[in-house]
Amino acid sequence: MDNVSNIPTPKQKKGNTFRHRLGVFFEDIYKIHLFIVRFFKEAFRPPFEFKELVRQCYEVGVRSFTLISVTGFIVGFIFTKQSRPSLATFGANSWLPSLVSIAIMRALAPLVTALIASGKVGSSIGAELGSMRVTEQIDAMEVSGTNPFKFLVCTRVLATTLTIPILATYTAFIGLLGGYLNVSLNEGISYTAFVQQFFQPLMFLDFTASLIKSVVFGFTIGIVGCYQGYYSNKGTEGVGKAANGAVVTAMFLVFIEEIIIVQITGNFR
Amino acid sequence: MATTENRKAITVGVFLALGLAIFILGVFTLGGQQKSFEKSIHISAIFDDVAGLKKGNDVWFSGVKVGTISNVRFVGISQVDVTMRIDQATQQYIHRNSGVRISSDGFIGNKLIVIDGGSPQAPVVTDGDVLQAEKVPSTDDLVKTLQQNNQNLLAITTDFKLLSHKILQGKGTVGALLADSTMGVQLRNSMANLQAATGSAAHLAVQLEAFSKKMNTKGGFADKLLTDTATFNRIKGAVTQLQQAAANATVLTNNLNKASNKLNTSDNTIGYLLNDPNGAAKVASTLNNLQQSSVKLNEDLEAAQSNFLLKGFFKKKAKAKADSLNHK
Repeated sequence: MDNVSNIPTPKQKKGNTFRHRLGVFFEDIYKIHLFIVRFFKEAFRPPFEFKELVRQCYEVGVRSFTLISVTGFIVGFIFTKQSRPSLATFGANSWLPSLVSIAIMRALAPLVTALIASGKVGSSIGAELGSMRVTEQIDAMEVSGTNPFKFLVCTRVLATTLTIPILATYTAFIGLLGGYLNVSLNEGISYTAFVQQFFQPLMFLDFTASLIKSVVFGFTIGIVGCYQGYYSNKGTEGVGKAANGAVVTAMFLVFIEEIIIVQITGNFR
Repeated sequence: MATTENRKAITVGVFLALGLAIFILGVFTLGGQQKSFEKSIHISAIFDDVAGLKKGNDVWFSGVKVGTISNVRFVGISQVDVTMRIDQATQQYIHRNSGVRISSDGFIGNKLIVIDGGSPQAPVVTDGDVLQAEKVPSTDDLVKTLQQNNQNLLAITTDFKLLSHKILQGKGTVGALLADSTMGVQLRNSMANLQAATGSAAHLAVQLEAFSKKMNTKGGFADKLLTDTATFNRIKGAVTQLQQAAANATVLTNNLNKASNKLNTSDNTIGYLLNDPNGAAKVASTLNNLQQSSVKLNEDLEAAQSNFLLKGFFKKKAKAKADSLNHK
């Protein structure tokens, strides 16, 4: 009788699972908080891992440049092409550069860069650190006296925080070129006139907001990737989960941050 | 290994430097467009309604962007003070009596401020000057006018609908004209008459044209009248003589009138003879007496011819008469 009463009913099982997940969620938040605090403690305290930082900048920034450039060009070209019919309805084709500039500078450049980086860089960081955790390389580093957090996490997070704004700038510039190519092919506008119209509706606030967004996105991608990889477990399965979790979480957070920053910067307009 | 690391470091350096350069270039381009890094002055204007104008919008002078809106704020009860940052290089062209109005970049474009007018006699604007704002019809005003026009159009079409309905029912002159076949026939006849009259008029016009051509023919009477000075002088002289004759005739008529007036009175001899019956009787009596006297005188003269004293004279006279007859 006692044994029967100890067996949980399906309802109890569901409640337990939910409670367990909720507990895990808040525990994760706490761990992420500790992880971020530790990053700020470690990142700006010597000794600095400059060589590793440069290497990570190379991996994150330079290695992503081609992908980002192609994506930026396609975004600029396609966005211009798709926007034309709507503006042509009002006979406002001349507004295409202005429309492209607002879209690229305020939203597309940082967002597209962050999403591409989430996929490429986030997953890469998650998988790399995850495999290092699973193969106990991180533990070995601790044993050998090297601070793995400083060497692995701080350098990667700093690299993403530094290079993603730069990549977003490239995306904006190449997107501008893509937009110009499309407008030039259809409307025959000169580059000077295009650039003038491109910058006409922009304000310094747009530049600042775009820069802030890119920095926040870069930091988020780095932190999420490192966190997922640094605390991965369950062997090789954990490596895949870390890579996947890094991409999904980073993308999700990027969108959430986009909404918040747009709301904040909107108050300054 | 070290070379690879160096190469990576250089690549990263170039990557970061280029990215920063592009960003700074963008900032400077934007600053150049907004004239943020140029020397500028601030002028303002007060509007009742700014129609959505906001900070950062353009300021145009003679169709050229010369600055941007730097501030928009409420003043007084409900007026709006718009402060404009104007490029100092264009300051010399903007005068204090220039007008400021709100316009837009195209029909659906951004709002902007247009500075226009101003005379060279007025001094140029300086920092802190307030320009006179001009009120221009807003889009709402245009829509209101359009709505009024629509209402008028509706009223007109309603009236026309009633009118056409009445016409179809055969009411009124036009309706009767359309419905009554007799009137149609009459109208057709009238039109035929009108056409004939028009034809006659055309014929007359042709004749008049021919006549005018003849008048213009060289050497003709009309041409001589118009061009020959000798003929003109003769005609002028004849007209003068005619005028004199008419004047004389007038005088003569007046005299005759006066004489006839006198004949109607009895204060003169003829008037007395014509108008007084007693005078007429006296004249008749006198004439009678004269007749009787002449008869008696005739008798006396015949008696005198028989007198011896005068007998020789009469014989000589008779003889001379007979001689003259014989000579012939």
